[in-house]
Amino acid sequence: MEATHLLTLVTFLPLAVGLALLATSAVARALGAEGLPASVWRLTGLLTTVATFAFSLRLWTGFDPTEIGYQFIEYRPWLPDYGIHYFVGIDGISLVLVLLTTFLMPIALAASWTDIGRSVRSYIFFMLFLETGMLGAFVSLNVFAFYVFWELMLVPMYFIIGIWGGPRRVYAAVKFFLFTMVGSLLMLVAILVVFYLHYQQTGVLSLDLVAPPGGGSTGLIGTAIPTTGIWWQTQYWLFAAFALAFAIKVPMVPLHTWLPDAHVEAPTPGSVVLAAVLLKMGTYGFLRFALPLFPAAAIEWTPVILALALVGIVYGSLVAMVQADIKKLVAYSSVAHLGFVMLGMFAFNVHGISGSVLQMVNHGLSTGALFLLVGMLYERRHTRMIGDFGGVARPMPVYAACFGIVTMSSIGLPMLNGFVGEFLILIGTFLAWPIVAVVATSGVVLAAAYMLWMFRRVMFGPVDNEENRGLIDLDLREKLVMVAMIVPIIWIGLYPEALLRRIEPSVIDLLEKVERGSADAAQGRDPLLAQLGPVLPADAGEVQP
Amino acid sequence: MNTPDLNFSVVGPLVWVSLGAMVVLLGEVLLSRAKTFFGRTVTTSLVGSLLAGTSIFFLAMATYMALAHAAMGNATPFDPAHPMFVLDRFSALISGLIALAALLSCALSIQYLDELRINHGEYYALVLFSVAGMMLMVCAVDMLPVFLGLELMSIPIYVLAGFDRKKLSSNESALKYFLIGSFASAILLYGVALLYGVAGATSFAAIRAAASLTNPLAVAGLGLVIVGFAFKISSVPFHQWTPDVYEGAPSAVTAFMSVTVKLAAFAALLRVLALSFEPQGEALQNVLWVLSALTMVVGNFMAVIQQNIKRMLAYSSIAHAGYLLMGFVPGTQAGYAAVVFYLICYVFMNLGAFGVVVVLANRGRDCENIDSFAGLARTRPGLAALMTLFMISLAGIPGTAGFMAKWQIFASAVAAGQVPLAIIGVLTSVVSVYYYLRVPVLMYMREPGEDAPRMEIGSSEFLVLAVCAFAVLYLGIVPNGWWVFDGLHVLDWARDSVRGLFAS
Repeated sequence: MEATHLLTLVTFLPLAVGLALLATSAVARALGAEGLPASVWRLTGLLTTVATFAFSLRLWTGFDPTEIGYQFIEYRPWLPDYGIHYFVGIDGISLVLVLLTTFLMPIALAASWTDIGRSVRSYIFFMLFLETGMLGAFVSLNVFAFYVFWELMLVPMYFIIGIWGGPRRVYAAVKFFLFTMVGSLLMLVAILVVFYLHYQQTGVLSLDLVAPPGGGSTGLIGTAIPTTGIWWQTQYWLFAAFALAFAIKVPMVPLHTWLPDAHVEAPTPGSVVLAAVLLKMGTYGFLRFALPLFPAAAIEWTPVILALALVGIVYGSLVAMVQADIKKLVAYSSVAHLGFVMLGMFAFNVHGISGSVLQMVNHGLSTGALFLLVGMLYERRHTRMIGDFGGVARPMPVYAACFGIVTMSSIGLPMLNGFVGEFLILIGTFLAWPIVAVVATSGVVLAAAYMLWMFRRVMFGPVDNEENRGLIDLDLREKLVMVAMIVPIIWIGLYPEALLRRIEPSVIDLLEKVERGSADAAQGRDPLLAQLGPVLPADAGEVQP
Repeated sequence: MNTPDLNFSVVGPLVWVSLGAMVVLLGEVLLSRAKTFFGRTVTTSLVGSLLAGTSIFFLAMATYMALAHAAMGNATPFDPAHPMFVLDRFSALISGLIALAALLSCALSIQYLDELRINHGEYYALVLFSVAGMMLMVCAVDMLPVFLGLELMSIPIYVLAGFDRKKLSSNESALKYFLIGSFASAILLYGVALLYGVAGATSFAAIRAAASLTNPLAVAGLGLVIVGFAFKISSVPFHQWTPDVYEGAPSAVTAFMSVTVKLAAFAALLRVLALSFEPQGEALQNVLWVLSALTMVVGNFMAVIQQNIKRMLAYSSIAHAGYLLMGFVPGTQAGYAAVVFYLICYVFMNLGAFGVVVVLANRGRDCENIDSFAGLARTRPGLAALMTLFMISLAGIPGTAGFMAKWQIFASAVAAGQVPLAIIGVLTSVVSVYYYLRVPVLMYMREPGEDAPRMEIGSSEFLVLAVCAFAVLYLGIVPNGWWVFDGLHVLDWARDSVRGLFAS
């Protein structure tokens, strides 16, 4: 396999295997035989995701952190007359997110080995489809392709929630779909406007985000988007359209209401993927598209975003605290955590944005693990109410230990991954907006409060519910799943440099684009920009937590 | 006296179709009197299949001739001295598409008509006659053949709508369609008469030369012509007949007319607007803008509350007329090209969706209630998957034809500065997602109800659905050709066909 096709391989392997399985089943049925048995589907699905992860490790090892810009680029015509190319490539930011995705998919499949009993074949197909959709969105450098993947992954997720979800699954699935559609269709119009402006300025029809390897276009990023003029051509409104699409996905308050429904109703693997990867689409979208395309507007909108992020942190934490359902609690904690990610991003400095990228990975790992743990408990007791539990640590010591580690990671205990990310974000925020950072810190305290309180009520105390006495501890499969989740949690906590080394050059590159772009647009008359001071600190390259 | 210099090759597709209609009529008479046919006892269903096969053959020939001409690409008038009928890239492409759509709906009808016990041979003759009318309509460069084609198209369809003659709603549908259709034709004819009064001729070129929109007579004429067409394409506020007619007509007829009539009417409208009024485009824009916006909003919102799948698809087709009209608003080549591409995509996705409804018809009864789709994924997994694909495509989710088509339309609107209209378009699309998704919700997330759908699928029906599904995916992913389909540059065809219009 040539290294240049590695990204395509990683992206499309899951879907290709999924389609092959479908075709084999259809042929078998047409010949009068039974379709492939569910166990074959399960095993093939798991092996495919493992293989995808193995291939993506080659991305990790082959990635050169010293090189700025995109790597593993593939560029070929798709509909060249309409500016649409198959253009993929990754930088440090997308690299870690791709790895997060490929890492979590086998775990999600393994975790649902016994959980999903109904229509296993469709389930495996939708999971594989979903993986291709998510990976495609992370690696696409053509805005059209990005949009295609961005919406395409709604379809499998919609079915996963709607078919295998809880009692209100249909409501949750439709709400999830519609919320996302509202934002993304407005973004579609904004994409078309940028496309049109780019064409007007350069005479080239291209939807490539950055300049393609062969040259011939500056990429949309090179478009000078006006800050004044016809309203729909201004950065201000275009940024708003993009930001709406991404903010719904993040989700930012007040657009978050689909999230508790979707999380609670989704089956465990659905919640894991939703929390760990799908939410990152929103924050990733800000970093990859909204900030570099509309830098001046991004700075103009900063107060609004910061305010919403703060509200998200505080409100999310407070609401999490009063939840009686563990899954809902974790869902609201996501709102708070993603608030931190947004905060770091809009600090516009290396610490903040690096921390925010790292926190995306951290949140994926710790919240993913939390959903897995809640799912394991639910499988045994068929309830998720905190009040139904108490003293679970006695019959399930291994489970309690795992839960403890993951809880600590989620509230940001030093030595675990959550700490590094939150710390960097708070440093970055403090450098840019000290008061905001002070308020945000309260979120850390609140997180400790609601997580530890929940942990105590579930795990410790007397076993006052007889049904909990007979709970069986984790079996081998579940132990393996949890070990797989906890290893990176500790690894990142001890050695974040491995990730940061790859993330930071891309972040610096992004910041330079933002700075240059906003300086061009604002010509120094933007007070907010002046207030920010130099965007790149002197020690940019060597941040150590 | 000189013999006129006529290009008979130009009317080839039309001749094949008309010939087919007559052969089918004769065949019906002869076959139904015979006792045996090559050793097999003649039954109604045998006659039906034979006639369907015959009409499919003639339609295939017409499709082939038209598409071959579209690929060749020269614009040839039938009678160069009096150009009224021109086969150029545009009309050849649309004619070919109409013939193809008719072919697919004939193949879709065989089993269905048997199931409803209305398998009479006239059915296929009527389809062929109306296809001939449509071809006349899209090839016309003169108002008179446009009108002639419109009538030749409409009258057989009035009959087809009432083809299930023992069913009350089918009769109602036919009568309603006939009355309103006649009104529309009359209004169109008034418009043509007024334009004739302005220009002294009925050819598009003469109207374009003479009609200026400062002349009230021309404005009135143009207005009436647009209203006449708005009836046929079911644009709001001239859409009232659509849901009733679509609901009452037999599903196979609905499938046929929902795509072909729209194709023909939109293609003719495109020609009329682009060739007769393009210079005064700005004044037209406002009218089209309002029509488009109203059609999108009303169509999509009304579809949400429908309980009958055919009514829902009727409102959905109204909504799609709104998106198509959006392509007219810019008045640019890109906009018209987007309309042509949208029409191509629309044929396959709508035919597919109605095709599934047809395939589900059971024991002489249409499977109309939307609740009868409940649990279909359990009982008919293949059909459920196909229906999901068509619904997703109609909703415009990427990876399907519907998205590529909407992308082209929105792109042309944005490039012409029509951003508010594009925003209305995308917001109403969100509404459409809601009602399109209801069908997969019922199929996948509910238990099967009492309404038992038909359990077997005819091979011709299967082929039609397979072709539609393939086309929906193909047009949605690689519309300009890829791999073994490298020659199928559908996007380029759409663009080139429109370019030819302006060149001639």
